[in-house]
Amino acid sequence: MISAGARERKRDGYFLRAEGITKVYADGTVAVRDVTLELRPGEIVGLLGENGAGKTTLTKILSGLLPPTRGRVVSPRGPVRFGSPREALDFGIGMVHQHFALVGTFTAVENVALSHERPLAPLALAATRAGLERLMAESGLKVPLDVPVEKLAVGEQQRVEILKVLSREVELLILDEPTSVLTPLEVDELFAFLRRLRGEGKSIVLITHKLREVGAITDRVVVLRKGALVGDVRTADVTKEELAQLMVGRAVGTRAARAVELSTEEIPAHAAHGAAAARGPGVLHVEGLTVPGDTKPVAVHDLSFDVYAGEIFGIAGVEGNGQSELVEALTGLRPALKGTATIHGRNILGLDPRQIYRLGVAHIPEDRWRLGLVLPFTLAENAILGVHRWPQFRGPFSVLRWGKIHAHVRSLIERFEIQATGPGAPARSLSGGNQQKLIVGRELAKDPAIVIASQPTRGLDVGAAQYIRDILVEMRDRGRAILLVSADLDEVLALSDRVAIMYEGRFMGVARPEELSRERIGMLMGGVRG
Amino acid sequence: MREGRLLRGVHRTHTGVHPALESVLAAILGLLVGAVIMLLWGYDPWQAYWALLKGAFGGFGYEIPTSVARGVPLILTALTFSICLRAGMFNIGAEGQMYVGAAAAVTVAYLRLPYPWHLLVGVLLAAAAGAIWSLGPALLKLTRGVSEVISTIMFNWISRFLVFYLVAYVLVDPRQAQRTVRIPFSARFPILVPGTDLSAAVYMALGFALLVYFLLWHTAVGYEVRAAGLNPTAARYGGISIRRTVLLSFALGGVAAGLAGAATTMGLPPTYAIISGLPDLMNLGFDGMAVAMVGRNHPIGILFAALFFGGLNAGGRVMQFYGENPVPLEMVRVVMGTIVLAMAIPELVRIFPALVRAGRALVRRAGPAQGEEA
Repeated sequence: MISAGARERKRDGYFLRAEGITKVYADGTVAVRDVTLELRPGEIVGLLGENGAGKTTLTKILSGLLPPTRGRVVSPRGPVRFGSPREALDFGIGMVHQHFALVGTFTAVENVALSHERPLAPLALAATRAGLERLMAESGLKVPLDVPVEKLAVGEQQRVEILKVLSREVELLILDEPTSVLTPLEVDELFAFLRRLRGEGKSIVLITHKLREVGAITDRVVVLRKGALVGDVRTADVTKEELAQLMVGRAVGTRAARAVELSTEEIPAHAAHGAAAARGPGVLHVEGLTVPGDTKPVAVHDLSFDVYAGEIFGIAGVEGNGQSELVEALTGLRPALKGTATIHGRNILGLDPRQIYRLGVAHIPEDRWRLGLVLPFTLAENAILGVHRWPQFRGPFSVLRWGKIHAHVRSLIERFEIQATGPGAPARSLSGGNQQKLIVGRELAKDPAIVIASQPTRGLDVGAAQYIRDILVEMRDRGRAILLVSADLDEVLALSDRVAIMYEGRFMGVARPEELSRERIGMLMGGVRG
Repeated sequence: MREGRLLRGVHRTHTGVHPALESVLAAILGLLVGAVIMLLWGYDPWQAYWALLKGAFGGFGYEIPTSVARGVPLILTALTFSICLRAGMFNIGAEGQMYVGAAAAVTVAYLRLPYPWHLLVGVLLAAAAGAIWSLGPALLKLTRGVSEVISTIMFNWISRFLVFYLVAYVLVDPRQAQRTVRIPFSARFPILVPGTDLSAAVYMALGFALLVYFLLWHTAVGYEVRAAGLNPTAARYGGISIRRTVLLSFALGGVAAGLAGAATTMGLPPTYAIISGLPDLMNLGFDGMAVAMVGRNHPIGILFAALFFGGLNAGGRVMQFYGENPVPLEMVRVVMGTIVLAMAIPELVRIFPALVRAGRALVRRAGPAQGEEA
């Protein structure tokens, strides 16, 4: 049974076309740059790109969650403009997000009924159940219908989410990193199902950063880099190496976009510096470390490495491959399952953050608003977070020495060029760059033996980012050990003396940055050892 | 920036108005709404408010001391709420902790000690009882994850009937079955203004408010409590034990409520006992939450708010006897309720732009139907 719409699409050859889409966020970030893209029925398109390449923004525009700044979305019936995801769904476009939008205490039937609900209409539970049972029989996607979804495995929850979208008779299905939460077997099942959907003439977009998956299932690959479309090729015509190269970028005709980044010429300069400064004794020793995740039972698998004084040890990789869990385990915020971790030979696993700071650890956290700062607090109050019990700030009877604290903050403001009205200004009033400088200043004032810096320049403008990087290099040159975790590949390569590429909780390889070609790094980041 | 020192920690809200001014505006709005209701019911609001004002602050010999005396327990129960709120929790349990504190204070009647020591022992007993009672909800929260909102409300009921029982069967005065034994002279707060209820308990309340202020803003322990209340994740990153801040703030809040129990027994003439049905205690814990809100959960702000609410209580009694068509005391509670509601207006102001945006979006969706625009 082919609907009128389907016949129409057959004739025109495409279901949806994005024409010259550009998205500029309110803060000036250009997330998507002049992207033109056609989606055809009966085709699986892989959307490939690093973190921040604009994959999610582009699909949000396609599915009506975000309006584009420039450009338009066209269907064979003319331009389309969606005011909400619901309108997009009515048109036949459904998106399955990385973070499921399910009510945990509701069953699958209730969740799906809820998604159909019009305000003030009674929930059609019986009809929904009948529809779901038919859909499960047709699609082969089986889920328990009467169990609260929070009791289901993550793979099953994803199936509920997909069924929810399919129950709306979609023609275009967009899946955002669907395999990141699935076991290999579940991935196989999902892919089998997607192939069946393709056979029915549906159009499918799969957002991913895993090269293996692209090769396994897609017909066509679209590669985004820094918001721009840098490749739109048939999967059969391209090698993994070429895709990796497109993804991490290297002379792909986007010189202009790369002008603001660190130039590649800088990489050997820093590395030479690192080689000149002799590597000191070991500071952090990690062996067999296994750490649980929030959604996965294990996020970091049996990891072993050392970080030495006077070196920057960089961890590169697509986010969500266990980097955050590793940092949290090393800083006392997440208990480890197995393994050992020592600072100067003293165990740190099982200690609370304050005890770990005492051993000479500074932690620049990945999320400065959630972890690094108490935003309503003043600069002074934030400047002592974690060191508020140190004797220079705390007198007898636990009384805080505000005079000394304010003097300390004024010296931080001066030394780290923090733009603020004074120690009494709320941290909320500072710009992102100045907030990060405050955190960096606070952490370095601990005179640490090792600095664990997680995404230290995320969201900062070019000047502030470079300032933070310079400080990290300076700390390295003064003989401190630095563990740098960053999703910004250019940054990791430019700063690190040794780089580890992390993929699904393991290191794919550890090497000096100059020993690795960008293609190779792209492959390793995509989980291909090659 | 010295002018803001005293009210440090009072955060500006969404209206952009200074929080203290916001509280004053809420109070004025409450009085206005009260006036409208009085008019609707055929009372004369001018006359009523004049009577209320005179009754509350009309003289130094009786009116002002009475208002202050009425504010004393409110200061303490408001502190209970505010300390826990600063630590990020809603402690609704001041009422019950105060009952238990009052019952503990009455037990000093069975002891024989000289004057200042007898008083001191009573105060300490009340404080300890309040603190111990507050540990129930705190431990339930820490060990079983029970919401403190639910558990403190349930503990209020437990303590209420427990103290009913104690008053009727255990602490009862064999000669006066409607009340407990009286607290002996050696354990009473001295009366400061003869002929009024104002006792030295006011010094205890003032002192405790200042102590809480010092603790929260000038010690590392208080710093930890505030950090945990504002951003528990960052607090954990900063090596702060949330367990500790929860226990500490609950215990300190319990002490405050226990002291309120001491003030309303050892410092409240003429009975110096708990009367069956707890008429002198009832609702002081809940009113303390209103005082805490108006006082912006700041110990110094609470002092002013408690004086205002104490004045409303004291003046309200006068209001109901004044003129040919006196206004009933319940009207004072209407005014109090309106003030608390008005305190929520800043939140409404924040919601308002969101409503405007939603309205515009609706118009925009309807728009293209009429005509395509570029």
